[in-house]
Amino acid sequence: MTQPVSPPRDSTDKVPPVGQHLTWRDMMARADVRTLSLLGVLAVLVVIGGITKPDEFLDTRNLQLVLTQASVIGVVTVGMTFVITSGGIDLSVGAIVALASVWATTVATQEYGFGGILLTAVLVGLGCGLVNGLLIAYGAMVPFIATLAMLASARGLALQITDGRTQIVTIDGVLELGERDSYVLGVPPLVLVFAVVTVIGWLLLNRTTFGRRTVAVGGNPEAARLAGIDVRRQRLYLYLLSGLCCGIAAFLLIVLSGSGQNTNGNLYELDAIAAAIIGGTLLSGGRGTITGSVLGVLIFTTITNIFALNNLQSDVQQIAKGAIIVAAVLVQRRTASTT
Amino acid sequence: MAPEPPLLTMSGITKSFPGVRALDGVDLDVQAGEVHCLLGQNGAGKSTLIKVLAGAHQPDTGTIRWRGEPVTLRSPIAAMRLGVATIYQELDLVEHLSVAENVHLGHEPTAAGFVVRGRAARASTAALLARLGHPEIDPSRLVGALSAAQQQIVSMARALSHDVRLIVMDEPSAALDPDEVDNLFRSVQDLTAQGVAVVYISHRLEEIRRIGDRVTVLKDGRAVAGGLPAKTTPTREVVALMTGRNVEYVFPERPAAGSVPAGPPVLQVRGLARDGEFAPLDLDLHPGEIVGLAGLVGSGRSEILETVYGARKPSAGQVLVDGRPLRPGSVRAAVRAGLGLAPEERKAQALLMLESVTRNVSVSSMSRFSHGGWIDRSAEFGAARAATRELSLRPDNPSVPVRTLSGGNQQKAVLARWLLRGCRVLLLDEPTRGVDVGARAELYAVVRRLADEGLAVLLVSSEVPEVLGLADRVLVLREGHVVHTAPARDLDEHRVLDLVMEGSPAT
Amino acid sequence: MSHLTSRRGLLFGTAAVSAGALLTGCTSNEPKDEKPAADDKPADDKRGKEVTIGFAGPQADHGWLNAINDNAKSRARNYQDVTLEITEGSNDTATQIGQIETLINKKVDVLVVLPADGKALTQVGLKAMRAGIPVVNLDRVFNTPQAYRCWIGGDNYGMGLNAGHYIGEKLKGRSNAKVIELAGLDNLELTQQRTKGFDDALKNYPNIRKVARQAADFTVESGQAKMAQLLQAQPKFDAVWNHDDDQGVGALRAVEQAGRDDFLMVGGAGALSAFQAIKQDDGVLKATVLYPPTMAASAIDLARALGQGKGVGGLAEHEIPASITLYSAVVDKDNVEQYMSTGFR
Repeated sequence: MTQPVSPPRDSTDKVPPVGQHLTWRDMMARADVRTLSLLGVLAVLVVIGGITKPDEFLDTRNLQLVLTQASVIGVVTVGMTFVITSGGIDLSVGAIVALASVWATTVATQEYGFGGILLTAVLVGLGCGLVNGLLIAYGAMVPFIATLAMLASARGLALQITDGRTQIVTIDGVLELGERDSYVLGVPPLVLVFAVVTVIGWLLLNRTTFGRRTVAVGGNPEAARLAGIDVRRQRLYLYLLSGLCCGIAAFLLIVLSGSGQNTNGNLYELDAIAAAIIGGTLLSGGRGTITGSVLGVLIFTTITNIFALNNLQSDVQQIAKGAIIVAAVLVQRRTASTT
Repeated sequence: MAPEPPLLTMSGITKSFPGVRALDGVDLDVQAGEVHCLLGQNGAGKSTLIKVLAGAHQPDTGTIRWRGEPVTLRSPIAAMRLGVATIYQELDLVEHLSVAENVHLGHEPTAAGFVVRGRAARASTAALLARLGHPEIDPSRLVGALSAAQQQIVSMARALSHDVRLIVMDEPSAALDPDEVDNLFRSVQDLTAQGVAVVYISHRLEEIRRIGDRVTVLKDGRAVAGGLPAKTTPTREVVALMTGRNVEYVFPERPAAGSVPAGPPVLQVRGLARDGEFAPLDLDLHPGEIVGLAGLVGSGRSEILETVYGARKPSAGQVLVDGRPLRPGSVRAAVRAGLGLAPEERKAQALLMLESVTRNVSVSSMSRFSHGGWIDRSAEFGAARAATRELSLRPDNPSVPVRTLSGGNQQKAVLARWLLRGCRVLLLDEPTRGVDVGARAELYAVVRRLADEGLAVLLVSSEVPEVLGLADRVLVLREGHVVHTAPARDLDEHRVLDLVMEGSPAT
Repeated sequence: MSHLTSRRGLLFGTAAVSAGALLTGCTSNEPKDEKPAADDKPADDKRGKEVTIGFAGPQADHGWLNAINDNAKSRARNYQDVTLEITEGSNDTATQIGQIETLINKKVDVLVVLPADGKALTQVGLKAMRAGIPVVNLDRVFNTPQAYRCWIGGDNYGMGLNAGHYIGEKLKGRSNAKVIELAGLDNLELTQQRTKGFDDALKNYPNIRKVARQAADFTVESGQAKMAQLLQAQPKFDAVWNHDDDQGVGALRAVEQAGRDDFLMVGGAGALSAFQAIKQDDGVLKATVLYPPTMAASAIDLARALGQGKGVGGLAEHEIPASITLYSAVVDKDNVEQYMSTGFR
């Protein structure tokens, strides 16, 4: 301890540029490249949208629309990013959103009003996350299997609750939240929630011990265990977090669609995983980026928007979505390796 | 003299890896039909040599002749075509396939080029097993259901299914019971009777005496003796050949005799045992003391450390820190009580390879830099830098990814983690594995200095000089039992090797 | 650290327990008035020969399908001489085949089958017919008429056609009128038929042009999303034809959120919520084209008639027809009252 503790990261210059040794700046540059390439893809999309539909695409209302549509899946993706970063997977997110949204819109729940709907959505999400977490962390089940089982059960329960009916929300407070009158300085409340979840998610992953443990558990669970981290408890918390995000997303979806239906959240698991992966989160765990995930969600939503504005049909949209996933990952890898 | 040239002649083989010269001009000749034993301490170059022979490594210089003709073994397949098969310690069998399927894996007898003829495969497998003297193994059984010894035989059958002239066996008896070893030896003798040569690697001198024809001793990448008669060369001579070192590491000075604190021990191990791994063990460790565990691979060294640390659950006994028992099988309890482990497999068990040095160092003491879960990153960085500087970790920049560090510096990062945590008992498992020769002395000095500052260290190493040079007190282990305890200054390498290999002093 | 965790654990436990109590209360979904849609029109309540009717349908994962089950059950309940054997709904072809075979083995008198997939279930229909059990094929048609005695179902092409004509008449005289289409699930043939009928009808109105079409997959969520995008893509249009009232809930929500009311909307299927909106007449939804789930009640009527060897009252024939295609009536403000009771949730 002879050296005084100097301010961080000023020593970079003193480090000789030895062969493969990466400096902190190199790492930052590399991280930036990943983010930049995503921003590049987004920029290309904006140009395409702007050329094909200048009036409709480059419009405040359209921006509000894209961000609103991104909010629901965006919140789910933030939770998914944590789970994937920890080396896990949550296939049940779509089903949890469906279950939470129908449970929160039953006749009985609606009698409790706004608070009842919000609380039920969140608690159902947490409950499902708790079951996932217990099975995986303490029941030693493989995440793929445990959450697949949750997918099946939650979808089944959602169907049982609704009997396939669309449950229309009659609580004005909930409905108004999705309408133009409640925009805050032009920002829809749903987008605000998405933004808050994103910021909290970013801070949680990058600035807290929780985030560090998540990365450690994903990067090397054995090393994390031997370093004294309670790996199982961390895993439990992570699936709880994902469930919580699903509950919030379910509430947003209730606000957005003014209803609850058992078909809600269809294939969210795939959309969320795809967004996280093209964003730069490693499917094998150990590295995660909230910024990348959110950009991934925005890319997908923007594509859908451009296609709809240009009146292209769903078959073309699906083909393009697959192509974009491959292209984005390839572009990223190339840019990352040439720098 | 044999009228024809030896089956295999390797001469002047050298092979360097970054920072290490693993083979430094090794000569080896093997006759058809003999069992040629390779002896040497860990790091003497045995595994590198057999990897060269298996075509897995290319030698830097030197020639290999096969029946007198010069050959190059560009790949494992090329070696296989020539007739060299290697059976590694970690058997590469597929547990969920049958014996016959394993034996013929990759070259299944087929009809019309793709239809596997199962009956033909089973028949030829049965013939091979009979040739090895083990007709009782059913070719249609799953390999996963066989014993370790039977799996060895299956590996040999697989080697024989190619037209093999030379089989390399890397410590084949390590996992076997005595009567299983007898079976194995019968098979080996059957093979050599058929003119197949066997290169046999083992730590156990008594085995070499029983089965070997000739012995080549490796030390520090050289063959210090070639072709000694296996049955008659005195043990003392073999051990002397294995230990007479050229390179001597510089070990830090021990504190003067009697300066090991007489106060209460910080760590007490009482009757700690794990079934099948190690027998009940008692051990006291005082602040400032370095205790070494010496023993061969499989003697239970690492298992003892991991059980003390709570990473494995003991079947009996307990661990006490400051007289208070730890919850058995809980790493967190051990860490909280002040234990720290630098495990054997650094990359697999200790390091977060994608992360920076800072984060690797701070991972066990995050609560020190966080308030309500919120990390104060400049405090974290400062503390990590202070800890890594104290250990002279290079480069002097904890922001670099830990994967870019050399082995010695990665080990320092692990030590810095526990230093930062303020740990009081450090468990070191093979601390210099994968560490350059030059960096070792520095690491030894660090460990001694930490001990001088009051740390208690429990050291495990398969390198006897390391244990003798660094530890104050040594426990010699053989097959899970402590066979000898003595101050390090009262032991020498020769005697320890006798103890670990034969269990009794052979003088 | 450790007591902190345990306190947190305790808090969490309490929350979980109270959550459980609240949540289990909230699964209750009893609607205020469960009024069977087709109760008020008994067909022929003279008691006749006892008939056991086997009914096999797909999983009721959509409001319309749920209404099909309700209609069949309540209709059967009306007849004292009818016993209904109803199977657990399934979307899996193999499961549904198994269920129907069980009904055949039980020797029910008549089968009513709404196949999850008409083509895939043809064989089991044939098997029942050969076993002497007449089959009433409901809506999704088998491959061959040999597999059923009578088919009764909706008219997807007619839905599109009637929707197109309704819109055409409403926009008469408006030059350069634009319409958009919010279709269902493109994977389904019925979606293509509805679109074709709509396009064919529009050919009669040269002043109208279809400017956009998006598929909303029959879900509320997608209905909202796709309609929101269509509204953004088309700042000005005159009418929208939405294939399905369920996804229409989402579509109407998008219209409301965009604050638009400068066009008229025609829905499809006949959901109660759509009828109510049409009756109130304060939004864009002006009409909906029926695809009536009451067909299940009629199927029970037909099955009973088959079982008792009767014809259809009001027709001259002694036998019931081989095929009955329902009319896709347009329900608007003028006649909505009459249909209100058939609306499904």
